[in-house]
Amino acid sequence: MEDIIANLNEGAVQKFGAKYSEARAQEIYKTMLTVKEGRVEAAKQGIEKGVALRVLVNGAWGFASVGSLNPEVLRGAVSDACKMAKTASLRLKIPIELAETKTVEDHVQLKSKKKPSTILMENKINTALTINKTTLGYDKRVKSCTIDYLDLTGTNYFANSEGTSIEQDNLYVWSRITASAASKGVFTFSREEIGSTAGYEVFDVETPEMIGEKVANRAIEQLGAKPPKGGKSQVVLGPNVVGVFVHEAFGHLAEADLALAGGVLQNNFGKKIGSDLITFYDDGTIDGAFGSFKYDDEGVPTQKTLLIKDGVVKGLMHNRETAQKFNVEPTGNARAENFRVEPIIRMRNTFMAPRDHSLEELAEDIRSGYYFKSFRGGQANLDGTFQVGIQEAYEIINGEIGDPVRGASISGNTLETLFEVDAVGKDFELWPGRCGKGQTAFVCDGGPHIRVKEVIVGGSA
Amino acid sequence: MAVLEKDQMLSLAEKVVGTALKKGAVEAEAYVYEGQATNVGIERGQITKSNTIIDRGLGVRAIVNKAVGFAYTNIIGEQKPIEDTILRALSAARASKPYQDWNGLPEKKPYATAEKIYDRKILELQSEGLVDIASSMLDAALSINKRVFPIEGGAGAAYLSSSVANSNGVAGFDRGTIMECSLAAVVKEGNTVTPVCFEFNAGRDYNVDPVWVGEEASRLAVSALKTKRIKTETTKLILTQFALQELLHFTLINAVKADNVQRNQSSFKGRIGEKVASEKITIYDDGLFPGGLRSWAFDGEGTPHQKTALIEKGVLCNFLYDNYSAKKENKESTGNASRAGYLSTPGIEATNFRVAPGNMTPDQLVSEVDNGLIIYYLQGAHSSNPVSGEFSVVATPAWKISKGKITHATRGVMLAGNIFEVLKNVTETANNQRQMGQLVAPWICVENVRVIGK
Repeated sequence: MEDIIANLNEGAVQKFGAKYSEARAQEIYKTMLTVKEGRVEAAKQGIEKGVALRVLVNGAWGFASVGSLNPEVLRGAVSDACKMAKTASLRLKIPIELAETKTVEDHVQLKSKKKPSTILMENKINTALTINKTTLGYDKRVKSCTIDYLDLTGTNYFANSEGTSIEQDNLYVWSRITASAASKGVFTFSREEIGSTAGYEVFDVETPEMIGEKVANRAIEQLGAKPPKGGKSQVVLGPNVVGVFVHEAFGHLAEADLALAGGVLQNNFGKKIGSDLITFYDDGTIDGAFGSFKYDDEGVPTQKTLLIKDGVVKGLMHNRETAQKFNVEPTGNARAENFRVEPIIRMRNTFMAPRDHSLEELAEDIRSGYYFKSFRGGQANLDGTFQVGIQEAYEIINGEIGDPVRGASISGNTLETLFEVDAVGKDFELWPGRCGKGQTAFVCDGGPHIRVKEVIVGGSA
Repeated sequence: MAVLEKDQMLSLAEKVVGTALKKGAVEAEAYVYEGQATNVGIERGQITKSNTIIDRGLGVRAIVNKAVGFAYTNIIGEQKPIEDTILRALSAARASKPYQDWNGLPEKKPYATAEKIYDRKILELQSEGLVDIASSMLDAALSINKRVFPIEGGAGAAYLSSSVANSNGVAGFDRGTIMECSLAAVVKEGNTVTPVCFEFNAGRDYNVDPVWVGEEASRLAVSALKTKRIKTETTKLILTQFALQELLHFTLINAVKADNVQRNQSSFKGRIGEKVASEKITIYDDGLFPGGLRSWAFDGEGTPHQKTALIEKGVLCNFLYDNYSAKKENKESTGNASRAGYLSTPGIEATNFRVAPGNMTPDQLVSEVDNGLIIYYLQGAHSSNPVSGEFSVVATPAWKISKGKITHATRGVMLAGNIFEVLKNVTETANNQRQMGQLVAPWICVENVRVIGK
C-alpha cells in the first residue's frame, strides 16, 4: 500500500507540476450497536476503504476522494485533484505555502489489552444490555434508555512527495448512553459518553453497572430540580464543565485557522488574557485518551502544546499552512475524519492544569451561586461569545452545595471570563467527547474544579 | 460526472436481496447509494481550494428470527466485497437478539414523483463555473463594505442517487441534484470583532444567487459591529429561519417522532387533538415538496414520501412514522425513515418540515413590535433538553427593535424558556418562507420570552 500511494505523489509532481502532494489511504472496520430499552435495534458491521489525495498546484489546494484502492481509479483521482487545484488557483492572490517538517518513516502498531476485533458481537451486545438493564432498573420513573456503541479499527497509510511514509493503526471505542425520566409532567434527560483509544478494557475501568447507575441517577435527581435564576452569578464549575469551557471558550479561538479568520486571539500572542491561575494545554500524547494519536493527517508528530501559561497566551494549534503564516513549527493538529474530507486544525486532549484548592474551599466563600457539574453541549463564536449548556447543576447557599437545578446554561465572553477565574482546584479529570467543525473529531477535555467570580446564567426564573 | 444508471443500481439492490435470502435471511433489504460532489472553497478572503468526492456504497439489512443485522461496504464494483457484506449482515443478525414486536419490512406501494429535484445542468457543471460563482459572491461582499472579511464559504454542486429493494418486492430508484453557495463574514474594528455572520443559497436546480448571498452576509456583519447591552426582561422576539431551525431541530422535531412518543420521550404523548401551539401555527412534513432540499420519491426504507399534517392551527394531529413504529400501532408509515447514506440503518427524521407562512411582510412584522429583539443566529441550541423542550441559549447576533424599527445590535444576550411555551406564544408569522436544512418556514413573532442581558 505504501508503494502505491508513494507512486501517486510522484505522478502528481512529475506529470501535473504539483509543488506538494500527499495521499492518505484508509481501511476502516466498524462495529455498531443501537439498543433501546433492551431491544437491539440492529447489530451493525461496516467496511470502508478509500484514498484522499491533496495537492498544491500554483499555490492552491486540490483534493480528490475516492472509495476505492484500485490503481486505475487512483490515477484518475490524482489527475482530478491537480485539475481542481489549477482551477482553484485562477483567482488566487496569496499562494499557500507549507512550513517545513522533518520527513518520517514509521509504522505505528497498537498495544491494546483487549482489541475490539477479538471481542464477540454477542459480548458487546451483552455489555450494552447490562447498561440498559441497570439504567431502567434504577427507578420506575426512568422511562427510556438508548445506547449507541461504536468500535473502529483500521489502518491509515500516509505518504507525501517529501518522502514521509507512515503506516498507523487506529483504534477507537465509543459509547453514548442517554436516559429520560418523567414524573408529574416533568421530563428530564441525561447523557454519558465513554471514549478510548486504549481498547475494550475501557469497560473494565468503568463497568456497565457504574455507567447505568450514573446516567439513571442524574435523570431522577433532575426531576425534583428547580429552574435557575437568570443573570450574573458566582459559580463553581466541575472538571466536566471546565473541560468543555476550555474547549469551547478558548480552544476553538486557539485554532490558528480561526485566529487568522479574525478570532479574538489573533493579536493577543504573548499578552495576558486571563488570571494568573490559567494554564491550558492541548496534548495528543496522553496514553489511551480519546484525542490521542502519534502522527496527524499531514504526517506531523503529535505533541503537548502549551496554549496559555499563567494567563499569558503562549501558543496556538497549527497545521503546516498556518504554521508557515505564523513562522512557527506545526503542532500536529491537522486531522481528517476520514478519507472523504481534508485535514483541518482540530483539538486533541485539551485541558486546564490543576492548582491547589479542594472543592469545599472553592464553594465555602460563595453566599449564593451555582455548582455546575456536568454539561450537555457547548458552542463558541469568533467574537469570544461562548455558551455551555448544563445537564447537572446545584445551588450553592452559604458555602454549601444544595438542591439540584435544571435547564441552565452559562455564557460570557472569553476575554472577560478568563480574568474572572479566582480559584482553581487540585483535582483533575479528563472526559471524552466528539467535536464538530464540519467534520467530527474524537477529543478529550478536562481540568480541575474552578471558581468563577461572574458568568451569565441563562435561566428562566 | 459519470454516474451509475438506474438499471445498474436497481439490479445490484435486487440481486443482493436475492442472495441474502438464499444464504438464510428470512427477510432482506438492500440500499445502494451514490453521491458525487464538487466544491470550490473560500478561506480568509480568497478562493484557495477545490475538491471532488465520489462516494458509493451498499447497506444490507438481514432479518433472521426477528433479529436484525446490518452491514455496509463502500466497495461495490467487485463481487467478493458485496458477498462478504451480505454474510456479515447475516452473522450480525444471528449474534443479535430477536424482538418480538418486529412486524416485517415495508410492503410495496406506488411512488409519486418528487418534482423539481433534478437538474441535468448541475451534472455538466465544471469547477470553473463554481469558481465564477464563488468569486462573484466575494466581490459582492466587498462591494458593500471594504472592511468586511469573508472568512469562509464556497460554492458546490452535488448529485445524489439511491436505490432500495427488499424481499417484499419494494424496488425504488430516485436521483437528484443540489447546488449551493454560502459565505461567512466578520467585520473587525480595533480589538472588536463581530460574531460570524452567515448567508447561503441552496436549491435543487442550477440557480443560486451568489451576489445576494455576498451582499447579505456583508450587510449583517456591518450592522453587527456596533453593539449595546440590553437589560434583562420578558419581551417579544422575531425569530428568523436560522434561529427557528436550531430551536426546532433539537426539540419540537424530536417530540413529533413516533418512536420518541412510543418510548415516553415526548411530551406530546397521548395529546393528539389537543391544542399545543398558537392558532397561527400550522406544520406539515412534506417529503414531496417541489424543489425541497429533502424531497425524494421514497424514504430510506423504500416507503413513498407524502405530505403529513402534524399541527393544524395549533392542534396536534399526527406524528412522524417509519415502518417499525407504524406497524407497532397498526398504522401506515408516513415515509419518514431516513438514512445517512449507506452507512446507517434507517431512523425517523423529518423531511421538509414546513411551517405555514402568514400574510405579513417581514417589514410589517418588525413594524408591529414596540419593544423586542430580532434573532438571527443562536449558539448552543443543541444543548436544549430534547424531551422537555427547555432551552437556554445565546443570541449572536441579535438586533434590538424599538417602536417598530431595528435600532442596534446587542451583545451576549441569552434566551431561556421552553419551546412548547414559545409555540403557544406565537403572535404572527410572516410571508417570507425559505428553506434551511429540513425547515421550511417564515419569520415568526413570539411574545413573553425571557431575555437575559446585562
